[in-house]
Amino acid sequence: MPKCTIDGKQIEVAAGTTVIQAAELLGIHIPHFCWHPDLPVDGNCRMCLVEIEKMPKLQIACNTQVTDGMVVQTESPKAAEAHRTTLEFLLVNHPIDCPVCDQAGECYLQDNYMAHGLHESKVELEDKVRKRKVVDLGPIMLDAERCVLCSRCLRFEKEVTGTNSFEFVNRGDNTQISTFENRPITHEYAGNLADVCPVGALLSHDFRFKMRVWFLKSHESVCPGCSTGCNLFVDERDGEVQRLRPRRNPDVNKSWLCDPGRALYHAIGSQTRVTGARVKGAVWEGVSLADAAQRVAAALKEAAGASAFLASPQASNEDLFAFRALAEAAGGRLDFRVGSPEARLRERLDNVLQRADRNPNTQGCLDLGLGRDGVGAILAACAAGQLKALVLQGPELLRVPEAADALAKVPLVVVMATHEGPELERASVVLPAAVWAEAEGTFTNYQRRVQRFRGAVPPPGDARARWELAAAVLEAFGRPLGATSARELFVRVAAAHADYAGLDYRALAGSGRVLPGAGSGVAGSAQEARA
Amino acid sequence: MAVSVVVVDRNLRPGVGPILKGFWVTFKNFVESAFLGKAATIQYPEQKRQVSSRYRGIHILTQREDGTPKCVACYMCATVCPAECIYIEAGERPEKTIEKYPTRFEIDLLRCVYCGFCVDACPEEAIIMSGENNLVGTSREELLIDRDRLMARSELVEHEAGYRPVDHDVRRPVRIAALERLRDEHGIVPGMPQGSGARRQR
Repeated sequence: MPKCTIDGKQIEVAAGTTVIQAAELLGIHIPHFCWHPDLPVDGNCRMCLVEIEKMPKLQIACNTQVTDGMVVQTESPKAAEAHRTTLEFLLVNHPIDCPVCDQAGECYLQDNYMAHGLHESKVELEDKVRKRKVVDLGPIMLDAERCVLCSRCLRFEKEVTGTNSFEFVNRGDNTQISTFENRPITHEYAGNLADVCPVGALLSHDFRFKMRVWFLKSHESVCPGCSTGCNLFVDERDGEVQRLRPRRNPDVNKSWLCDPGRALYHAIGSQTRVTGARVKGAVWEGVSLADAAQRVAAALKEAAGASAFLASPQASNEDLFAFRALAEAAGGRLDFRVGSPEARLRERLDNVLQRADRNPNTQGCLDLGLGRDGVGAILAACAAGQLKALVLQGPELLRVPEAADALAKVPLVVVMATHEGPELERASVVLPAAVWAEAEGTFTNYQRRVQRFRGAVPPPGDARARWELAAAVLEAFGRPLGATSARELFVRVAAAHADYAGLDYRALAGSGRVLPGAGSGVAGSAQEARA
Repeated sequence: MAVSVVVVDRNLRPGVGPILKGFWVTFKNFVESAFLGKAATIQYPEQKRQVSSRYRGIHILTQREDGTPKCVACYMCATVCPAECIYIEAGERPEKTIEKYPTRFEIDLLRCVYCGFCVDACPEEAIIMSGENNLVGTSREELLIDRDRLMARSELVEHEAGYRPVDHDVRRPVRIAALERLRDEHGIVPGMPQGSGARRQR
């Protein structure tokens, strides 16, 4: 393990670590454009030059491996001069259109100029080389004038998606990136191109001109789009989600996020949210949450065990735990497998991130033992008229056309729903549920990694997290849950399940925690390895 | 310790002198303002007072030659505004050199503190201030003025332009010098992560 000194601080790193990585570990930021932690090193921008003792010339920190006894100066006069002049070169033909550029505020050129440049341009604005602007590449907008030719997008296309859409064209001053015949990007990872671009050359079409980034507040979260469980940031302003952005987790999603995942935020602030509880009599009647909980509890008491509970793999572990407590209090049947999501839990849709199971917490349902009685048996009981009440944690079953006849025979169908839809007509009580971005909780992904997400925005109207809805019914039922926050509930989950032993929200900070041992149900070590 | 006592003579006799003196001041001012034209007051609103050329009155959005707003919706004014009274929504312009323009630009004149920071922050000289200070309305909504009213207000024509940037230069060498001084003397580098600022302090 080589030991080195960077700016007077000593560190011992694994063999093969580069100077820029070692500096990051020490909290020293070396300015760069082309280096990216999840892309191969290219070393073309020359911004990360550092002075290394006993080496005659400055070296690029991104492609120089640490050797034992290496002494590095990142801000010596020679290195600082190199940073300044490199930056001046990169900015020679830059259009300085920061006022209309969406990258402003998170732009490497701006940040590095403020820290290392502060020079006056020697080139008049009129004399700069003009290139193509506002080129629409489908989900991405290209502005070749702002490009610093770092080739991050080329490497992303080559290494991650394998589509090779971008190439450099022309020479010298006129070099620019381009797709063949300006064809649009068609793969489902285009949003990452805007993220890897250190400047405003590639920008998201969806986020275009929507908001200046410095107004946004970021909240750590996890994508609910599929069983991969990519880590992300929810960027929000005044309770309105503006975009989703990948959060680096080398063990799950690296720095990437798929476009379907990025688009999920549209559903959060949608106009079709369920904002209040309602009960079906002759017509639908809006009621307060407490009222609705009272009615459901009364019906469950009357049913005296002739009830069934269907959990949702869209719900968090905390929601599932509270839901199971409700099912056990009422003594009803319990399952979650509508359309057998557990069979596709580890099936991949492509070679990057997406998985066939479009639920974030199927593994959590399995781990918490929610697959107990079988959906088939529950539906058969419904059809036979044996059930007096059916409580659904999500509207999945209502969307299954074959289940409609069986559902019609149950006098009380309670559903926790986030969005309005024609399927809600089949229910008799609708409880307003918060979506993932409005609640706190944990998802367990296909690796059995428990990952925490935080509430980013307030839920609309009366909507509450699903565990709070279950808690309200339990309270009315006379069997209070005894937890007032998701954090408390998770401690209860950890106490009740051996695999979760010793876990709490603090232990899940950062990249989450993989549960020990082979999982229940379909989880097996062979499948684990393949995934 | 001896106690000193101040004896106040309460037995004042009211004299005619001071009263006459007071009346004289009143009389003098009456004659001066009524007949000699030396009045300190004006007949507002028929008469309006001349304001300074740097007066910070109600805002104006300047226009290009084709009548479209000069503003490129960069949100600098909304960012710097201490009263948070500026609301902007951006849209796309067909010209590739301009790209962006405000589809909505609203200023809540009742919230505005007329500090002029928006004018300082603007990189395009798109928002300037006028000499207009007649802020009267019958509802709050009336004083939440939108883009088109900010661009063309008939009542603004009679007022001279107020506060606006002098000697406009996008590069602003003065600002760069100020930033360098901030960095060298105080170790503050705006907009950079904590680490690099601390490093410069060393």
